Amino acid sequence: MSPIDPRFQEALDGERDPGELPADLGEAYARLISAVQLLAATPPASVAARVMAEIRQPPVQVQTAGPMRRMVRWLARPRAVTVRLRPAWTLALAVGLAAILLMPGPGHTPGAAEGVAKFVGHFPGARSVEVVGSFNDWSRGTLHLSDDDHDGVWRGGAVLPAGQHEYMFVVDGERWVPDPLAGRYVDDGFGAGQQNALIIVRAVTAQP
Amino acid sequence: MANDGAPADADVVAQVLGGDGEAFGILIRRYEPGLLRFATRMLGNPDAAADAVAESLVRAYRHLAQCRDASRLRSWLYRITGNRCRSHLARRHTNDISLSDAPPLADGSDTWAVLERNEQVALVERALAALPAEKREAFVLKHVEGMSYEEMAAVTGARIPTLKMRVHRAREALLAALEEVVR
Repeated sequence: MSPIDPRFQEALDGERDPGELPADLGEAYARLISAVQLLAATPPASVAARVMAEIRQPPVQVQTAGPMRRMVRWLARPRAVTVRLRPAWTLALAVGLAAILLMPGPGHTPGAAEGVAKFVGHFPGARSVEVVGSFNDWSRGTLHLSDDDHDGVWRGGAVLPAGQHEYMFVVDGERWVPDPLAGRYVDDGFGAGQQNALIIVRAVTAQP
Repeated sequence: MANDGAPADADVVAQVLGGDGEAFGILIRRYEPGLLRFATRMLGNPDAAADAVAESLVRAYRHLAQCRDASRLRSWLYRITGNRCRSHLARRHTNDISLSDAPPLADGSDTWAVLERNEQVALVERALAALPAEKREAFVLKHVEGMSYEEMAAVTGARIPTLKMRVHRAREALLAALEEVVR
């Protein structure tokens, strides 16, 4: 296709008065403007109700290790213990402790179409680290990582639907950081060149 | 945007981020028509366009804190919607969009003028659909949505000379396709 006279393009770009165009170009100009007017009709549909219903929904709660389970895990971790004989009430305490240690954890067992996602990040000096992603509608407060031994390595896990999920770490409640250890990333779609990390969760039934 | 005493985008964004989620409805009403028109022209299918716009608006709401300049909210929303449309087209493994070959069905009350207009719309849509997605997007943003090249650059991430070239090529291709159709 041969390029069109630049005066035609200038008129359509608002850089030239269309009235100055020669007759044939003026006709082409009018034809294109007519086509644009046909395309400018606004579709009658509305998605407002659907969008508002969606954003009123609370974010999906991710099944994750709760405070009780974290405490059980902390108590179950091997560590040196010095035992001294005390009066009888220490025996009661020990019995209570044993009951907690032997109690089955309240964690969510993955279903057939779910798997366990584990998250690890190295954030020395951070006060909190949590994970937000497509699985919790990018909402904070549902999946916290912990650094029980204060070595700067934050760990946590959650049972998620099998499949691919995008996520980011939120450090100290304000700094959004893509997981530097994630093997795969995807553009976050907001145009600033930022990327989300990707995790692929395999269903427990699919795991060897 | 603050016409007729309506609150500016930045004020509404601040209201939403302050906890008043219902205020997001103001932004939906303000930008939904243009976003739906844009997505429909990009995807060639009103249902797919409605899905793309709904997903984009929910995404925008969830990430509103990431909108760095609320006074440019319109560009940001078009950018998210454009990305959604591109993802949709990529899932179809083609940039082409399919439109029904037949113009909208007529009923008994339609006049010849309405029928002729429907036919013309269908033909123009078909000519637009035949353009590659990048040229289609540039043409629609420029001429249907009435954006400046600067705003188009903010929406698409492409450079202004590139966008001008895309618009010029799209005009040429459309004119050639419509030569015998639109008068």
